[in-house]
Amino acid sequence: QQPGRGLPAAVGALCRALPPRARPAPDTLRRARFDRPQASLDFWRLLYALLKQIHGGKWTESDAIDNQIRFVKSALWYHGYGRPELYRLPSDGSAGSRELLLAFSWLLHRVSLLEQLLAQNRVKTGDETSVCTCEDALPSSQKTTTEMAPEYALGDRIDVRYLQWLNGRLRFQWRSLHAQHQEQCKLLHKIHLFTSGSHMDQILGHFSATETDLVRQPENYKQLLQLLDSETMQLEAYLEWKQLEPVYWQWMETVLDNMAEEGKMCESQDAHVEKSGLSKATSCCPWADGLTGQIDRLSRDLMTLHDQLHKLVTHRKAAWCEKVKTREEELEKEGFSAAARKIQESVELKLLDLTSLCAPEKKKMHGSCRLVFRSKHPASKTGFDGCVSKEPVSAVSAAEVIRDLQLREASLGRELKQLQEECRRRLDEIAEGLDRVICIPP
Amino acid sequence: MEWAEYNSCISYVGGGAVGGAGRRRGAAAGAGAAGGAEPGPPAVLVSAVPGLPREARLRSCAGREVVEPGRGSGVPGAGRARVAAAVWEPPRAVGEPNPSVRSNADPGRCVSSLPRGYEEEEQLHPEADSSNGHEIKPSPKELAELELLNRALEKALKIRKSVLKKTPLEAQRATGEKSAGEGPAPKNAEEQQVPVPLGIVPESTKVITVSKKPASLKKPSPCQLRAPYRTEPDVKKLQRKAPARCVSQGSRTAGKNLSKGLACKPGRSHRTAVSDGDTCVAAELQKTSGLSKSALNKQQSFSVGDSAGGKNSIAAGRHVFDAGKKSCGSLGESSRKEDPATEGVLGRSTSPQTVTLQQKGCQLKLPLPYRKAYSRNSRAWERCCLRQTNADAAAARNRFIEGIQTTFGSPMPAFSPAKIEKELKVLQDVPSLLSQYVEAELADHPTLQGEYESLLTLEGLQTTVSQCLHKLQLLRAALESQMRLCPDCAEDIGSCSPACVPPRGQMCDSAGVLAVPLLCYSSFQELRDLFALKLQVSMLHQEIALQQIIMAELLPVLESRLYPEEASAAQLYRAIYTQLCEGGKRFPVLADSSRLCVSSPES
Repeated sequence: QQPGRGLPAAVGALCRALPPRARPAPDTLRRARFDRPQASLDFWRLLYALLKQIHGGKWTESDAIDNQIRFVKSALWYHGYGRPELYRLPSDGSAGSRELLLAFSWLLHRVSLLEQLLAQNRVKTGDETSVCTCEDALPSSQKTTTEMAPEYALGDRIDVRYLQWLNGRLRFQWRSLHAQHQEQCKLLHKIHLFTSGSHMDQILGHFSATETDLVRQPENYKQLLQLLDSETMQLEAYLEWKQLEPVYWQWMETVLDNMAEEGKMCESQDAHVEKSGLSKATSCCPWADGLTGQIDRLSRDLMTLHDQLHKLVTHRKAAWCEKVKTREEELEKEGFSAAARKIQESVELKLLDLTSLCAPEKKKMHGSCRLVFRSKHPASKTGFDGCVSKEPVSAVSAAEVIRDLQLREASLGRELKQLQEECRRRLDEIAEGLDRVICIPP
Repeated sequence: MEWAEYNSCISYVGGGAVGGAGRRRGAAAGAGAAGGAEPGPPAVLVSAVPGLPREARLRSCAGREVVEPGRGSGVPGAGRARVAAAVWEPPRAVGEPNPSVRSNADPGRCVSSLPRGYEEEEQLHPEADSSNGHEIKPSPKELAELELLNRALEKALKIRKSVLKKTPLEAQRATGEKSAGEGPAPKNAEEQQVPVPLGIVPESTKVITVSKKPASLKKPSPCQLRAPYRTEPDVKKLQRKAPARCVSQGSRTAGKNLSKGLACKPGRSHRTAVSDGDTCVAAELQKTSGLSKSALNKQQSFSVGDSAGGKNSIAAGRHVFDAGKKSCGSLGESSRKEDPATEGVLGRSTSPQTVTLQQKGCQLKLPLPYRKAYSRNSRAWERCCLRQTNADAAAARNRFIEGIQTTFGSPMPAFSPAKIEKELKVLQDVPSLLSQYVEAELADHPTLQGEYESLLTLEGLQTTVSQCLHKLQLLRAALESQMRLCPDCAEDIGSCSPACVPPRGQMCDSAGVLAVPLLCYSSFQELRDLFALKLQVSMLHQEIALQQIIMAELLPVLESRLYPEEASAAQLYRAIYTQLCEGGKRFPVLADSSRLCVSSPES
């Protein structure tokens, strides 16, 4: 039943298609298939490295193994992997290589592990900028705030002026960051404009800052060339893998079948352990708290809106019925029903936009993109005609991103306003309690 | 910088102390009204005028700092609401960017203009300023105060600069500033607005601005309000002697840069250059230099001509001057920044003007090894992108996936944590968007058709809202059951955080996208807007987080009255109010009601 010679080739291609820094030896997979304990540590490390890369975290090979295992477990949970056997594996990494092989294969498909890693580690030769606001949505988990030793905070009394001063400084830093961004834009745009038509890739058309520098001092970019070449090899391995893939999945089926047979024998022993381990509900996790908070806030906002709409609709509907009743004949004469149908259609169209926005399938770009300048007046551009038609599907226009950002900005602004309103209310109450002081808001 | 203002604000609470930096000329006019008890300057004293709401009057004073003379104590019938409280007002007028001159938002100069005050809603209007300046001649005492104010602000500026110098850009500027060596401040403020005395710093900054920081390529649109803030060069309007020197300085530096650019390794050319098109470039060059000359002339005529400082003419002059500056600036910069890039191509060029990316950029060629590697790489990407999973593989894979998922323990919740996050992200802007729609429908419709359409829309919106609410309920339930399954949280309460660090990036998957991700922009303005908006969004995120923290930590202090002594209550209150309700931008006025009683018997 062993799928002959195709398998080593497939596994080899798979390994080579993985990023160099986490690349396993093909042997690891083979040993894991027989659940060899010596492979299990390697496998934990592999999964750790891969998942860390996917989630954009910093990591080193020397991270403590139990931390690595914990991370892998929670990342698998995060992606919805549900084999209880995996979560019961010992935290010293001494066993379970076959279990891990299964999890790895599951990730391969469900998270598109290979594709994501390839896309994420893409060698960057262009001027990249992120097109999503994901990175900002989650506040940094590192709570280093206490580390900063404020010079003004002697003892445990901190002058409120120090806070104000810090705030002023912060605003100032934002300001200079803004200025520097704008400066960067200016220079980027100059490079894009002045080099348009120079790039051999006609989709791009112009150099990036890196490439401009590369023209200037090519000797500094040996490493970049190496990276490009190694990425090319990785991509070729990926292509090979895609060809040999069926063998691998057939193999995985047999592995799973074996597991199931063995599993039946020891199932009875495990049953009670499972229950006790997984039944506690906790709210200690800041991640979960954050999500709950978000759900609460959204629900509150929507409830307010719901009530408002309910009132409005009832009111309008009553008025409308009244009107229709009194002018029924008149309306019939005018052929209102035809008009009404038209109106219904146009409203449906109008709301279609909205529902698509609420739909999870909404195609949204994430991650970072290469900035490309496309002048709106192709006539003024010296260079290739017809290159515009070769527009890749994955291109997103700045206008779109700007629109999304504006929406995001508006909704964050609302959130901030709400918070400020709440503060104002509470502070007004406090002001009433203050002696001899009248507060006149600005 | 705002904290300077803050400090001066705080030093004065309740009308007692005298904040040196807070002094304003106009304030002195009203000093008598308080019954002579106060030295006054930071306080604008307001006694009630019948029939005018107190708040409104205070507001008008705050805006213009004009205290109606003669209405102080003797107004008949002023017995009702009498507020003789001291009202502090931030010393914002001095060195504030002139809101009427907005033509220029060059990022380069933004940095240099940072030291100036922030632009605020409550700015003094320039008209008010100049009219003030013309009508009231400053007394020697006021001049002395101005002098004092100057020194305070100078000091504040120094501190700011020390912060500025942290970036290399700033360091560069700072050195330039030293060499510029400007004269002392024009002390005489006779026909000028309040901001005059600050001329000192701006002048020098400006020189550097010209020499080091070229203006933007395109004229930025004047109303770009989406930026987190608008920093603008407010510098030029008061120049008397600077322009000429300024430009010459600028061109001198530019020239230096050019020659430097030329001098650098001219022999290293290893690429051949196609050098046609030089003629048009030269023509363009002439055009620009001509422009700069004429701009200079115009600027000079302005600076001599309008002593009144009518803001329009000043603005115009500045505009033109900017244009001139731009032309010489961009020359300087392009050669400074790009010459090494083109040097390979144009190594033997004799004319300094031709060594720019601008002129030779379209003829540059990437080195051959790179071109080879790049095209191999991009071909590989293209093939990977087009590669489909074959049917065999898909079938086997799906069997495996299904098989493994049947072994999953207890019925899995409908959403994985990753999915929950994703769904929430989709929903996060929905309330804001929906309320926009609702607001659009609030108006009454004149026609029956319109009314019907509006009704239908509202009903549709209602359905959407209900759907979203339902979705949220599902998500909440899923989250709860997921948390029961969470390996770390279940194992060890309290220590889940390191591993529960939300695995980020999942949101950014768009699985299987191997295509080259491109972001196309079509104009410089679009690029700028994009960057500014991204920053704005990040800033709002931070602001919200800070707001929540401050709310949680400071409001209880006020509410529980745990602060030390009574005197600091108002101070603390104002600080917190400013921070929490106004985003640190505006101040509430705290009036001392006991002072009200003191002044009322007099009238």
